Amino acid sequence: MDVMEAGGMDWMQNEHMLGTSIMAVVYDGGVVLGADSRTTTGSYIANRVSDKISPITEKIFCCRSGSAADTQAISDYVRYYISMHSLEIGEEPKVATVGKMFRLICYRNKANLLAGIICAGYDKHDGGQVYNITLGGSILKQPFAISGSGSSYIYGFCDSNFKEGMGRDEAEQFVIRALALAMSRDGSSGGVIRTVTINESGVDRKYYSGKDIPGFYEGW
Amino acid sequence: MTSIGTGYDLSSSTFSPEGRVFQTEYAMKSVENSGTAVGARCSDGVVIAVEKVYHSRMMMKGSLRRVHFVEKHIGVGIAGLLPDGRQMVSKCREEATQYREVYGEPVPGRVLVDRLARFTHLYTLYWHVRSFGCSALVAAYDAEGPQLYMVEPSGMLMRYNACATGKAKQQAKTELEKLKLGELTCREAVTELAKTIVNVHDSTKDKLYELEMLWVCEESGRTAQFVPQELIDEARKAAEDEKDREDDDDDMDDA
Amino acid sequence: MESMSERSGGFSFDNVARNHVLEEKGMKMPKAAKTGTTIVGVVYKDGVVLGADTRATSETTVFEKYCEKIHYIAPNIYCCGAGTAADTEHTTAMIASKLELHRLDTGRQSRVTTCLTMLKRHLFQYQGHVSAALVLGGVDLHGPHLYTVYPHGSTDALPFVTMGSGSLAAMAVFESKYKDDMTLEEGKQIVYEAISAGIYNDMGSGGNVNLCVITKDKTEMLKGYAKENMRPWRKSTPYTFPKTEVLTSKIDKPRTDISVVVESEKMEVSAS
Repeated sequence: MDVMEAGGMDWMQNEHMLGTSIMAVVYDGGVVLGADSRTTTGSYIANRVSDKISPITEKIFCCRSGSAADTQAISDYVRYYISMHSLEIGEEPKVATVGKMFRLICYRNKANLLAGIICAGYDKHDGGQVYNITLGGSILKQPFAISGSGSSYIYGFCDSNFKEGMGRDEAEQFVIRALALAMSRDGSSGGVIRTVTINESGVDRKYYSGKDIPGFYEGW
Repeated sequence: MTSIGTGYDLSSSTFSPEGRVFQTEYAMKSVENSGTAVGARCSDGVVIAVEKVYHSRMMMKGSLRRVHFVEKHIGVGIAGLLPDGRQMVSKCREEATQYREVYGEPVPGRVLVDRLARFTHLYTLYWHVRSFGCSALVAAYDAEGPQLYMVEPSGMLMRYNACATGKAKQQAKTELEKLKLGELTCREAVTELAKTIVNVHDSTKDKLYELEMLWVCEESGRTAQFVPQELIDEARKAAEDEKDREDDDDDMDDA
Repeated sequence: MESMSERSGGFSFDNVARNHVLEEKGMKMPKAAKTGTTIVGVVYKDGVVLGADTRATSETTVFEKYCEKIHYIAPNIYCCGAGTAADTEHTTAMIASKLELHRLDTGRQSRVTTCLTMLKRHLFQYQGHVSAALVLGGVDLHGPHLYTVYPHGSTDALPFVTMGSGSLAAMAVFESKYKDDMTLEEGKQIVYEAISAGIYNDMGSGGNVNLCVITKDKTEMLKGYAKENMRPWRKSTPYTFPKTEVLTSKIDKPRTDISVVVESEKMEVSAS
């Protein structure tokens, strides 16, 4: 008997995955990004409090899903290239520019990458925006975007509950409720809910755990 | 020139004891041998006009173009050695497409001219290359509004309300200073710039010349376009008529 | 083979496809020694405690009973390695050397995040073929840091981490006993317990417990912090081979009746 097999070393050999529920929503005056906190390798939870919302610039963030290694590397590259770009243009970059740079990297290296990214943020030219960068490297500008393995459970919820021009609190509640539903049905999603709210005045990070995560029908 | 024969003017990688780089200054001289080019930033856009002197009576109209387009919203006017200018235009187009590919949006005028100036400056640093013998007037209209820039052979980059370069730049500058640019529209500026070129044109030396103009303005939908030929012809004719009248008046005064 | 000789170093993937086919046809490939391992780390009040077991295995054979899995990176940074022993050793040694040169260049203490970035870039570049799963810990001007680095190049930052085949057993200890702001003694104790859990419950882990305590001012390696599996008794006198009996003895004297005559011509040495 192989020790490796016996010990079940698959969580070491397998790639680190962000089997994930992530989303971002445009509201009146900014955006809200949200993500669960589960990182898995095979069936083992390698990190139950991971932060899948990474900063690119002061007011532009991205939610990562897919391979942890790939998405960390991509966001590192984008952060670097965009910092150089912002020096050249002499101002804060646009969300659209960051989104398109994610798209370019995901598209050019699509054979070697497993990454679904939601890029969202605020800029003075176009306000709050959300861009969904898909696995194949296309980009979609959306009023709200959901992605990751857990997202398939909440398309209906989001379609029926999303409203254009929501207020900040309303948008945050929408994100939390959607993610709570996704996490309760998707085995690869779970842990705490992290949110990042971005608007003209700044960035606000929050997390919700345990009782703060809204409950729905639990079967009793 | 006093510098000739001192040996300090043989390479662009040599400074003179006074701290000058003669090769770069010679490159600027070659711009001064060429037809005059003027540009003006108006309330609603930018206009560039270039005096294209015919080298031969048999040259066809429209050849050796001196105004070029590098992006939807950016146009370039060249004064000086035309082949050098075309190299600059190619570089601009390359940078514009590269920017579009990487950042997914048109290059801002400010970024483009910055890159063009760096490129031009690079050619003043090494003994094995020759500086550009041309200046580029760049007209752009983007989120920042209408902009006019000039890149010189030294790599010097400046943003202008109005500028002139080429043979009669001093005279042209004096004329441009009289314009009230803040109030002028591009359509009016076409007439004014045509008048400037016509006035500074030395008809005793260069008989035949063509007036090439481009604009990036509200009227052209914020895109770089040739000024309509009939507009140029009209402006040129009016300017020439006026000049003839003034000359006649002068003659009469003399009589 | 020609391409091999041209290469000056690094990996060659020339035969990967061939080996894959051979393996499918039933050929047994040689196995690299892997540290079926328990490695852990925890942040306590004044710094970081790293811990590791001491067993290295290949298949079911224990290759080395007392190997050192806590690798030096910098005076203020150490790194526990799990996975292929050769990969963890060489990766950490390479980063350690680069950081040393960087320190000589800058004249400043190395930062843990620098080390983390170098490790993850290296591992990402090799797309998981460098089989190194690491627990990186250290203290720098920004305080204590603890990270895990996975073979594919992803990283996590957490207050307590475990890695290797014994990570589940060790994590169970941390999840039930970890507190924020532990004292040094509490930190050492919880790491010891976590490694012990790996040693006793995971086949791939065994041997003793090695610890490394890193604080702002000093780093302390505690090899054999707990000697869980030292041989319990040892024969008081070492084994001696029994003497072989001498049956006969005969010594031949060398022959003296042969002489060797070397004829040689005298060399002419003319003075003229």
